[in-house]
Amino acid sequence: MGEALAAERYLVDEGLATVVFLALRLRKPLLVEGEPGVGKTELAKAVAAASGCELVRLQCYEGIDVHHALYDWDYPRQLLHLRGGGTGALYSEEFLVRRPLLEALERPGTVLLIDELDRADDEFEAFLLEFLSDFQVTIPEIGVIRSDRPPVVVLTSNRTRELHDALRRRCLYHWIDHPDREREVAIVRTRRPELPEALVRQVCAFVEELRWLDLYRVPGVGETLDWAQALHTVGDGELTADVAERTLGALLKAREDVERVRRGHLEELAAKARDAVA
Amino acid sequence: MRSPEEAVAPAVVALARGLRAAGVPAGVDDELTLCRALGEVDVRRREDVYWAGRATLLRRIDDLSTFEAVFGLWWEGRRLEMVGATVAEQAESDPRMPGPQHGGESLPQFRHEGRSGHILDGEAMPALRPIELPSSADEQPGEGERRGVLAAYSPNEVLTESEKLGLGADEAAVVRRLADALRMAAPQRASRRRRPAGRVGRLDVRRTVRGSLATDGEAIRIARSHRTFRPRRLLFICDVSGSMERHSRVLLASLQGVVGADIKAETFVFATRLTRLTTTLGSPDLAGALDRARSAVEDWSGGTRIGEVLAELNAEWGRRGLARGAITIVVSDGWDRGDPELLSRELERLQRQSRRLVWLNPRPADLGGQPLAVGMRAALPYIDDYIAGHDPHAVGQLVRLVHGLGAGRAVRRQRPLSATSSQQRR
Repeated sequence: MGEALAAERYLVDEGLATVVFLALRLRKPLLVEGEPGVGKTELAKAVAAASGCELVRLQCYEGIDVHHALYDWDYPRQLLHLRGGGTGALYSEEFLVRRPLLEALERPGTVLLIDELDRADDEFEAFLLEFLSDFQVTIPEIGVIRSDRPPVVVLTSNRTRELHDALRRRCLYHWIDHPDREREVAIVRTRRPELPEALVRQVCAFVEELRWLDLYRVPGVGETLDWAQALHTVGDGELTADVAERTLGALLKAREDVERVRRGHLEELAAKARDAVA
Repeated sequence: MRSPEEAVAPAVVALARGLRAAGVPAGVDDELTLCRALGEVDVRRREDVYWAGRATLLRRIDDLSTFEAVFGLWWEGRRLEMVGATVAEQAESDPRMPGPQHGGESLPQFRHEGRSGHILDGEAMPALRPIELPSSADEQPGEGERRGVLAAYSPNEVLTESEKLGLGADEAAVVRRLADALRMAAPQRASRRRRPAGRVGRLDVRRTVRGSLATDGEAIRIARSHRTFRPRRLLFICDVSGSMERHSRVLLASLQGVVGADIKAETFVFATRLTRLTTTLGSPDLAGALDRARSAVEDWSGGTRIGEVLAELNAEWGRRGLARGAITIVVSDGWDRGDPELLSRELERLQRQSRRLVWLNPRPADLGGQPLAVGMRAALPYIDDYIAGHDPHAVGQLVRLVHGLGAGRAVRRQRPLSATSSQQRR
């Protein structure tokens, strides 16, 4: 499993590889939580690519309902159909607009990503319960639609809200952590092969130290990638306090954090990172 | 010949029972899933079994340390009854210390450790529950300071020092009145969900067209929808150190009565450290949770570290959006022994996330004639509304304020409060 994902340039540790493997084998939805920027959404994309499946993505937001998530009727077309003197059933598959959930259900072999579920409200979560346990939906005008080969479902949450236990019970659970330094180096090397290895190592050492500081917003792998790219563009292949200061905005996204690192630790951290690699 | 699933079943049941005993909810269906999962992995490898168990039986990362303790014992084949004690030992150690780690990874694990549910949620497992309740007698500085909301509401307030857990009859009456007031105040926010309406509201194109299909596409009835409202979150951060505890307890008990109705509240209490009460608020164990919170304070009676507490709140909960859009109400006298600069910084951060930051100070001039406590002075610039006093007037002011802050445009004070202006207003 790990190799298959690595082929899609997504590197996992043994734990995540095992859990993804189990989710695929047991046909259970996988609930992934973790700090922002650890690659939760990327995981679903990589799983889809690795298994050769199509990715269907549902981005959640407050107030999302059945008509946005599951299906809708194409009223304008129905109206035209009537006006044009058409006959036949108005509520048939012909006029059905498929939204992501229905699409994932009807098309065999898809990976369904339900992204940032914590942004949706309780009502939608309750609706998902039925969907996730039976992989079938009822459309009153048409009937029950079910799938012989249910999609692989990945749900992500940033924990801005606690998800219900009933939903958690239907899923396998995994918490994605920030990677350790070696893995992060490997990730950056995989994703940005054009960057010099020495710089990547320094960057990852720097970021690892940074994560130990009590920052307001701890940088994730996504930020590490951006910052490494920025350093490469601005600097000359070496992590110096000067270049770091100019590009810090790519790594730290809260004013307090930038100021704090700038004031106290920059020189020292940069030197430490260089030493760690040398 | 038994199937692999059957072979592992007794062990799986033992693990799940051990977890349940330690306070991690693991259901029978989870056990079945784990049995199936173990059929897919190499059951001789600890790593494989660990991850299979973790994916199926663990539902939130806060329970990780408990899970690891139980799993460790289970894998070694030791009796799981000992788990309660083991976990209790961990819980009492500094939560910032790196805990037992999985797979030998060198990650900054303390971020999870700090969140471990049995400490913060006040939902301790049996072994954690203090058997001897700490006496509050030595924490009550004297008759003069036992006024507060209660005294204001009931003139003949006399409570014995030994009474801690239950609420007295008069206290209960105060609680009821406050609860009623809060229920009336129920602040709301506009929801993105709309609902079908009669004659007023925005045109609902979908339902109009849908209705028209029955009449050959002629829209005879215009359908409309109006916006709906949901309760806006109230975030209470209550000081329970020393004599503040009395004020906070009345407020908390009132909250207990209204949470769930139309009030959505998150509640934290603090003295030197933060305790989340929300999960306990609905349960009868509020008194127990308060006592546990207080037992952590005994060495500090009389002083708090508000800055550190707010920093913890921001780091652990604020980042997850708990305060976002909420009406945050800090109940404290601002008598702070910590770093005032830290207090300012963290309060500013909290204010930026909240819709409105209200500070209720029940003991404004209690400190030997000093105008304001140092902490209070540091906090003032970042407070939207400062309510001082402990009379019905102050509480009424809070309720009115909360009521007016719900829907509509967010308003923020343009000129920060300062010590002098608030002095004048009092």
